[in-house]
Amino acid sequence: MQYNIKMCLRTFDPIKLFLFIILLVSATHGFSDAETVRFVNGEGDILDEVEFILHDNNIYLPVETLKSVFDPEMKHSYHTPSKQLTIKTKDKEIKLLMGNPSVTIDAGRQTITLTVPPRIIKGEQKLPISFFEVVLPELDDVRVIYKPELQRVRIMQNTSLPSDSSEINPLWTVIIDPGHGGEDDVGCKSQTGLFEKDVVLSVAKEIETLCKQHGFSIYLTREEDVKKSRQQRFQIANRFETGLYISLHCNASFSQNHKGLRLYLNNPYGSLRFRTAPIPTLGIKNLNIRTQANFLQQSKDFASILQKELNFFAKDPIAISEFPVISLKDVYMPAVLIELGYLSNLEDAARLTNQDHIRELAQTIVRSIQVYSAKVGHTIKSNGATAEESSNPIER
Amino acid sequence: MSKIRKIIHSRLIVTWGITLVTIVIGLAIVLLLIANSKRTVIQDAPPELPNQANPTDMLPSPKDVNIYLLESDGLELTPVRLELRLYAEPTEQLKQILSALVQTTPTNYRNPIPRGTVLNEVYIDTQKTAYLDFSHHLADGQIGGTTAEYMSVTSILRTVFDALPENIKHVQILIDGKEVETLAGHLNISQPLRF
Ligand SMILES: [Zn+2]
Repeated sequence: MQYNIKMCLRTFDPIKLFLFIILLVSATHGFSDAETVRFVNGEGDILDEVEFILHDNNIYLPVETLKSVFDPEMKHSYHTPSKQLTIKTKDKEIKLLMGNPSVTIDAGRQTITLTVPPRIIKGEQKLPISFFEVVLPELDDVRVIYKPELQRVRIMQNTSLPSDSSEINPLWTVIIDPGHGGEDDVGCKSQTGLFEKDVVLSVAKEIETLCKQHGFSIYLTREEDVKKSRQQRFQIANRFETGLYISLHCNASFSQNHKGLRLYLNNPYGSLRFRTAPIPTLGIKNLNIRTQANFLQQSKDFASILQKELNFFAKDPIAISEFPVISLKDVYMPAVLIELGYLSNLEDAARLTNQDHIRELAQTIVRSIQVYSAKVGHTIKSNGATAEESSNPIER
Repeated sequence: MSKIRKIIHSRLIVTWGITLVTIVIGLAIVLLLIANSKRTVIQDAPPELPNQANPTDMLPSPKDVNIYLLESDGLELTPVRLELRLYAEPTEQLKQILSALVQTTPTNYRNPIPRGTVLNEVYIDTQKTAYLDFSHHLADGQIGGTTAEYMSVTSILRTVFDALPENIKHVQILIDGKEVETLAGHLNISQPLRF
């Protein structure tokens, strides 16, 4: 047999060529935002985009940044002869000396030493980025994460999260399903010899530890490198009256360029559809039929929380895909499959061997679980105020 | 004298024997080659049959067909146009197009169908569902990962729906004649699928 291959060669029309040149020029010269740091809140909304100055490979930001990203009421004054900068924010007084890495909070009640000192650059007082990372959590109940590769700083409120087990419904169980396992099913592989089954188990163990610390009832479908059938995994989940099912996997593609996290929901009528008609919407007759489909909306809610939380790890927004997913098929509770990264991509594969990255991933997933559990009311709050706060992150 | 004659006689028998065997084997090889070449001829260009309704009839002119592959640095499946001499009958067309998908990987493209995959059989039912029976390589050769598995399945589906939009509404993938739940453990292909 002979095939005449006619490649669909893209025709170069002048407009495309022009756009291409613009793109090329901007890529080589850099967009103006290449010299900014983006501050985002816990939900991923942009708080401000601030131009920075690079000094000895350290990023320095203007003092006013504190106003737009942390406290609009912030006030500061500078005493030139003594080179002392005084910042008043959140009912606290912070004193810094230019060129000196120590930061004094409330007249010596607390002293923090930065890795690099604040400096006068181009006649203005500038704060190193580590000031935001280290000092802000001391001034307010926030967590600050800086991602140098994305030039992004995330400032998250620490409120709304249950702190002791008495606040959590003991029947509500988090089931973590580390995909694959055993000799025959290693999942996908990286060029460096990393197996999916091992990566997902280490993330699952980290999530288990954190969930226990936060008082959640948690169960893993496998605790070690063993083979577990899909049915066995579903049976484990369905033993629990109510909860949340998270299947952990690592992705692979034929293109090395595919990278990043992805979320999947089991929807037999999603981007790929079954021929059979969907079961009619829940009526009294169908109430006893337990199917994954009955939990689709809840799964979507959890996926969008995960999406917002995990977006911080990626340059591009994390995609949520819906189609018939076999790994979630017969789970009778909200369920999401997380592809933690592409082992076929060198960058992703390297990150998934990094213990810090694995811990950060696990922390983010657990935080999403906390936000979701607070939202669906499986967290019994001790007082009304915190319960109200807890629902804020989703409504905002 | 008689001793010598006997030796000559027995030598003669051996020589003739060898010659005969060689001729027989040679003839068999020639016959086999002829039979084979005839078969190839049939496959390459079916003889013009007088019966118009014959399912192996070819379309009068070659047709442009899209198969869906991944560009080496691309993130999405893209159509690659092939010019094929197709049979008139849809089932036969489908066999030709899918065989082309399985076998064709132009430079700068990646084929999401694992190497070695063979299309065993195709069947289209009255509900316009195509059952495509592939060899076990389609499942065993998976590299893992939801993205790769989704691409293998959607490259088949897009190629089929693109080529025969009127004749096929759903596709079910079979492996060595059997229904399967999944190729690599993520995507559920236990039922006929469409986009
Ligand atoms: Zn997997």
